[in-house]
Amino acid sequence: MLFNTAEFFVFLAIVLAVFYASPRAFRRVILLIASYVFYLSWNYKFVVLLLGLTVVDYGAAIAIERAPASRKKPFLLISLAANLGMLGFFKYYNFFADNLAQLLRFPPHSWTFSIILPLGISFHTFQSISYVVDVYRGEQQAIRNPVDYALFISFFPQLVAGPIVRAREFFADLYAWKHPSQEEVLRGVLLVTLGLTKKIAFADQFALLSDSYFQHLSDHPGGFAAWSGVFAFSMQIFFDFSGYTDMAIGMALLLGFHFPVNFRRPYLAFSITDFWHRWHISLSRWLRDYLYIPLGGNRYGRLMTYRNLMLTMLLGGLWHGASWNFVIWGGYHGALLSIERMIGRREFEKKPPLWLYPFRALITFGLVYIGWIFFRAATFADSRYVITQLFHGGKQYQAFVPRWMMYMTGASLLIAIVEEKFEWTERLSRGSAWAYAAFMILLLLTIELIGVTEKALPFVYFQF
Amino acid sequence: MRALFTLISTVIGFWAVEFALFHTGAYSLILRHDSSTGSVETYIRNELKRNRSTAPQVLTIGDSRMGFLPRYANDLQTGTQFASIALGGSTPRDWYYMLRGVDPKANRYSAVVIAMNDFEDAEILEDYSVRATDLYYLIGRLKYSDIPYFAKSYQHDPKLEWAAVRGIVLKGLIYKRDFQDFLLHPVGRIQMSQAARKESYLWYYNYVGTNSSMEGVVVDWTNRTVTVPPGFTETQKAAYEFQFLAPSPPYTGVRSAYLHQWLGKIYEHYRASKTRLIFLYLPRGPFVRPDQPAFNPHSSIRELSLQPGVMLLPERLFESIEQPGLFVDQFHMNGPGCAQFSRILAKEISHRLDAL
Repeated sequence: MLFNTAEFFVFLAIVLAVFYASPRAFRRVILLIASYVFYLSWNYKFVVLLLGLTVVDYGAAIAIERAPASRKKPFLLISLAANLGMLGFFKYYNFFADNLAQLLRFPPHSWTFSIILPLGISFHTFQSISYVVDVYRGEQQAIRNPVDYALFISFFPQLVAGPIVRAREFFADLYAWKHPSQEEVLRGVLLVTLGLTKKIAFADQFALLSDSYFQHLSDHPGGFAAWSGVFAFSMQIFFDFSGYTDMAIGMALLLGFHFPVNFRRPYLAFSITDFWHRWHISLSRWLRDYLYIPLGGNRYGRLMTYRNLMLTMLLGGLWHGASWNFVIWGGYHGALLSIERMIGRREFEKKPPLWLYPFRALITFGLVYIGWIFFRAATFADSRYVITQLFHGGKQYQAFVPRWMMYMTGASLLIAIVEEKFEWTERLSRGSAWAYAAFMILLLLTIELIGVTEKALPFVYFQF
Repeated sequence: MRALFTLISTVIGFWAVEFALFHTGAYSLILRHDSSTGSVETYIRNELKRNRSTAPQVLTIGDSRMGFLPRYANDLQTGTQFASIALGGSTPRDWYYMLRGVDPKANRYSAVVIAMNDFEDAEILEDYSVRATDLYYLIGRLKYSDIPYFAKSYQHDPKLEWAAVRGIVLKGLIYKRDFQDFLLHPVGRIQMSQAARKESYLWYYNYVGTNSSMEGVVVDWTNRTVTVPPGFTETQKAAYEFQFLAPSPPYTGVRSAYLHQWLGKIYEHYRASKTRLIFLYLPRGPFVRPDQPAFNPHSSIRELSLQPGVMLLPERLFESIEQPGLFVDQFHMNGPGCAQFSRILAKEISHRLDAL
């Protein structure tokens, strides 16, 4: 049940109706049932896995809290082993087995299995780990009510692709639940509509182009096609993921939950450091708090800082998928972050003067753009081919991205710049009803006239 | 209450904008005139604004095989004025809505001539009852009140049935391809649409067809071979072989049910009127297959012909045209073929109307 299908909206309408029609005491159970129904609609077999991890982490957290300080660690290790073990097996077993087989000169796929990746495993395991670690650190109380904890892990708006919500944020909303205000309802509806527009009118249109390029590289020779193909993917991944996140945040808001912001106009970033403060913020935050800082962060000198940055980003890359391309993508960003640190951290965290901003933003986008090649290309050889085409592909002209899509990209860039300055979408839900309605009508017309509605294309991050 | 008011305003506002754009004909100002939707709208608009004389009016309709060119018919000055809204790729379902568009009160024509491939409801490869493109042809014609009947006509394919409901409610979903095409060259499109509105009647009226023919093509029914003279491609040869030699689909009744429904619907539209419905049997092709469909006394057309106001033209009226020199391909008449066909038909119709 994809967010961009009619079935999902029927499901959401039913959940909202039942949720608000029920006595308050039953609402958590209703959300939990809805979340499991949502998950069951993908693949019923993996519900057992989700349930199993929920039970392990629920029990581990209580055990950690009850145990004396010296005996907490084994319970933490059990939880980590369960989560990382499941993640490792389902997501990385074939990758490592295949690489090992090749290293030992066995035929390819000698030791691989046919494994289906359980939906959202990367997200819910990270969320579980953060909870158990927080309990271990004493920053979070263990949750006693199994329904509450199960809901935290399986809450359907963010189960599949985040944002990765911290336990204290989620339970603060759950335990002090308030009926969403008028503004929150309007903002929730706006975010769901905006997200859907980003997904089906922008991301899916660009997906048609980038898929056509990356899936048939030899059909599109030349530098122009390469620049256009990578550009199309750069747009697709942003609109796809930020569209999904907007929908998730909007739906949560309609149910009275407040999710953290996950994207803040990342293509307006003026440095790679700034980019990671704007892109998939909940993952960056998780990596910082549960990987980079435990590794030592920047506390042990420059070299260790670079090492920690590289390690964090390499693992962050690998988190996205079991492929060397993702490792390279992570390493590439790790290297860029380290270089920025080397030059001077402040320089890349401080907003540049207005005259310099466009150049810095353009350079940052260029660097991010190159990184997307590794993210999207199927193999390392494909990535190398695309890079070669970018710079040595010749002037062979192939009109790849239609002009109207470039106009739409330009329009969204303008909207982003205005949003960066005035945060007007935030204000819309507080301001005039007519302005809100006009913007919503524009979004709905965009979905109707531009959206890819013939078939529902899955979200890119659902595969992670 | 504020949120509710704002959201209701949004829904009403969206509906109003959608209605104004796509349900009032406003969008047809920029619609591509030769797209599926655009062709239907252009043909109907041209027919509605055509200069009509006081002579009896005859309208012909059919698909691309209907090679009737009104210009040849009117040049004969039979005392009847002819027009055509026959459109390539259209089907009986489209014809009903097109006729309703040009003649909503069923009082504009002395006769409506409908071109059929046969009178036997012979099966064809495609099941027209689930033809998705009809929605695209007709979207400019369909109203909210058409939803139940039109959508139900896709009942054999629930996805299409739902697409039809959704498409009529949110017409922009169907106009989308056209709109995206418009965005590619907006200025050129507006100019072309304006030109089409002004002049396309003459473009179509003065069209005389091509002189290319299938002269030299030989079908050997005994040995089941097709030979083509130099200048014909392998693709053409393969198409001829398929058309003339491949076995005909067996009779299942699917097409008959479809034709009963939509020809019946056209009949219903004209039942209480003075308009005659005249069915013609199109020339069978440049070569007549030996395995012609068997006589079907219960075919849609034969059953309709028993109704008052319905006539069938003689089945072999156009036999003289069934020769390779008068066809451009296995289906369609060429320019000379169309001219001959139009003249024969005009004389026959005028004669029949005079006899009434």
